[in-house]
Amino acid sequence: MTRWRSAVPAVLDNLIWLILIAVVLFFATQTDKFLTPINLRNILTAASVLGILVVGQTFVLITSNFDLSSESTLGLAALIGLFLIVPPGSPTWGAGTEIAPIASIAVILAMGAVIGWIIGALITYGKMNNFIVTLAMLIVLRGAMLRFTNGQAVTSIDSRPAEVFNWLGHESAFSLPWLGAVPVSVLVMLGVFLIAYIVLTFRPFGRELYAIGGNRAAALASGIDPDKRVRQVYMISGLLAALAGWMLAGRISSVQSDLGEGYIFNVMAAAVIGGISLLGGRGSIVGALGGVLLLSIIDRGLNLMQVSVFWIQSIQGFVILIAMFIDAQKVRFRGVAMTPSLDEPAGERDVAAGGDAMEHQPSARIARGDAG
Amino acid sequence: MHVGRENLNDAGDLVVEMRDIAKRFPGVVALDHVNFTVRPGEIHALVGKNGAGKSTLMHILTGLYPADGGDILVRGERIEAMTTSRARHAGIALVAQHATFVPALSIAENLATGALPTTRSGFVDWKRLNAIASERMAAFGLDIDVRRKMENVSVAERQMIEIARALFADASVIILDEPTAPLPKHEVRMLFEFVRRQRERGASFIYISHYLEEVFALSDRVTVLRNGRGVGVFATDDLTQPELVRLISGSDVERFRRPVRETVGRPVLRIAGLTRPNVYHDVDLTLHEGEVVGLTGLEGSGNAALARGLFALEPIGAGEVTLDGKRYAASRPEAALARGVAYLPRDRHGYGIVGIASVRDNISLSVLDRLRTVLGFLSLRKVIGLVEGYIRALGIKTPSQQQPVEFLSGGNQQKVVVAKLVATEPRVLLLDEPTQGVDVQAKVEILRIIDELTTRGVAVAVVSDELNELIDVCDRILVFYRGRIVREFRKGDADMTTAHILHAIEGGTEAADDAVA
Repeated sequence: MTRWRSAVPAVLDNLIWLILIAVVLFFATQTDKFLTPINLRNILTAASVLGILVVGQTFVLITSNFDLSSESTLGLAALIGLFLIVPPGSPTWGAGTEIAPIASIAVILAMGAVIGWIIGALITYGKMNNFIVTLAMLIVLRGAMLRFTNGQAVTSIDSRPAEVFNWLGHESAFSLPWLGAVPVSVLVMLGVFLIAYIVLTFRPFGRELYAIGGNRAAALASGIDPDKRVRQVYMISGLLAALAGWMLAGRISSVQSDLGEGYIFNVMAAAVIGGISLLGGRGSIVGALGGVLLLSIIDRGLNLMQVSVFWIQSIQGFVILIAMFIDAQKVRFRGVAMTPSLDEPAGERDVAAGGDAMEHQPSARIARGDAG
Repeated sequence: MHVGRENLNDAGDLVVEMRDIAKRFPGVVALDHVNFTVRPGEIHALVGKNGAGKSTLMHILTGLYPADGGDILVRGERIEAMTTSRARHAGIALVAQHATFVPALSIAENLATGALPTTRSGFVDWKRLNAIASERMAAFGLDIDVRRKMENVSVAERQMIEIARALFADASVIILDEPTAPLPKHEVRMLFEFVRRQRERGASFIYISHYLEEVFALSDRVTVLRNGRGVGVFATDDLTQPELVRLISGSDVERFRRPVRETVGRPVLRIAGLTRPNVYHDVDLTLHEGEVVGLTGLEGSGNAALARGLFALEPIGAGEVTLDGKRYAASRPEAALARGVAYLPRDRHGYGIVGIASVRDNISLSVLDRLRTVLGFLSLRKVIGLVEGYIRALGIKTPSQQQPVEFLSGGNQQKVVVAKLVATEPRVLLLDEPTQGVDVQAKVEILRIIDELTTRGVAVAVVSDELNELIDVCDRILVFYRGRIVREFRKGDADMTTAHILHAIEGGTEAADDAVA
């Protein structure tokens, strides 16, 4: 019994990949349209915008904060990006500045970073609650989009300069045997995940983020400036949301004021399913990628099986609950599997893991409970 | 009331009797047929090292864990499968170190949880609520304004309120888990008086503590656990402190004494005329290379605030501070660390460890920038090497570098914090209650580590009110009283005794020393 128990945490930590395999096998047996190159490409393409948002969110979550505003940042970036490149007096909207597409992209990426910095500044300098600040920003930016478009769509269909947008949205980078063309957006998403993995694992910056999320006071006393880091992670989140906006605008060629609405639920869900703790300090970006793929695969697979859209939502919600249930079990097993140290029976440590230990009062938990 | 020593295991009138309790966790025997009894109206201390099984035993008594074997009898009645609600019914209550109250509500509201009295129109009847609460508190000899918000109530008062609440809910056995760890000395006295008063009224207490002085001051009997086994039950009066230490550790823990030093190193940190209004005044103090200086005093006398000020966790005030001859003014902790000033916090779970992070991540946290390759990436080889070195040098007991620190014992957690500080290669090390909440053996080891650091030229300041430890490890002890340094004791001088220092701490002058001696 001891032996199988000691394997439990390893299994739980990688459970997302086991579930993923199970889900793929399930869909593969249900419909022969699932394991086809075109379908897999569709899944990955659909996952790329979500994935980039999830990476930004992961940085923020690890510091025990969160960013609700990224879907609005995404929408606004897409809108402004197109607005800047369409010619003045364009048929559908009657506005535009027609600047160089590269400049337009630079502007929206900078805008994303600035929005992130403002959020971070309000939270750290202004001592405001992260939930309220990012919720307010979500609403403010959405309002700005409505005002900007007067409720109409911005279209770039006939604009030649929009090619740069299309490049990230539609184009393929190269071809692989069997799978065929590999979309640029998928490569960019994987690149973003790779960079995030390296930064979070091998840069002092990344390790500091985990420490801040684990215990902000201890990080401060260890010579880290937690407030500066918090502003930086919101900048990363804003920047990546703008990048995702660029990608989405290139894919649909037409931006309406509600672009991106509702994305944030999937972003949070994917991160949490992937094992990123909402309390901060725990979780790996690789798991988050698994969460992104799982949500995208379920969405696509159910569509292929022609399950009603109404059910799809419920099923996705259900998946989130199951993931959270499994996550809760981790806490139970985490303390037990450790090899016992000489002076301390595992039982006592198991107690500590439960969070209600008598000798290890949960003050550390309280200290980092400011995420609300 | 009085404890008869002749029949220590008399089953006659026991409130709690735990017989042959066994508990296994995967791979480990946590409790190996332990017996434990509590009599009516006694204070029964439960002692042992971290991990000896105290918590597990109490969790079984309060029904949090099922026992694998053994019987639990409450007032002679066997309780089949103990659960938390059965424990509550049987009158067993746990008062944790951090009492479970809602901070933003008043004392009265907290006491009435779930049953606020209402007026006829359905609003909260504040008058009645406060009257009932006051009356209840008065019944237990507590004269407290129940309209105060819980967050403004001192920790000792909170514990007393919690004890009173439990007693009012018909509890007859109260478990006090390390109640004094977060308390300043005068509040400890207040709490003890209260506990004794409740004992006179017939309540029983199980008292868990690492502070052996307090075990002797408060308890009637002591049960000692070691590695999950019961070592024995003793009448406290029959024991001496060294005997108890031996019982707890299973061997003689030798006392560590730092030898008297012949030479004094160069001055490292000089403080002249430092004043922070209402906190400390006109502080003059010099720390020398390789020196250990104790800073002691009553809570709020300025010694701890000075250490936090030097590390920029609080404002430092106005005055002259130089480090190695150059002006020292750190605005943030990272600036202090950059100048070679490191600080070990009193609150290990607050400013000390990142509990969920690994031993490796904790120890390397302050020096990540030094562990990089040319390209700026962390060199895993360097990190592992550094951490391994400190695990060995400090004798940190951990199954691996990847073990989350929250699963280590208190003493080892503290050593992890010390390792993190030492890794920064500080010039000045400020230690705030370094031995708080660690067991006897670890205490001695930490004192030894402090001593060893000074051979590398580190100047150490220890803020503490553990006078015996200060006497053992310090070259000098400075006593703070109302924000001023009032006395200095030097190692080797005849007057460096607890009695003399205690006298100075409470404001006694040198002239009046003879009365103490």
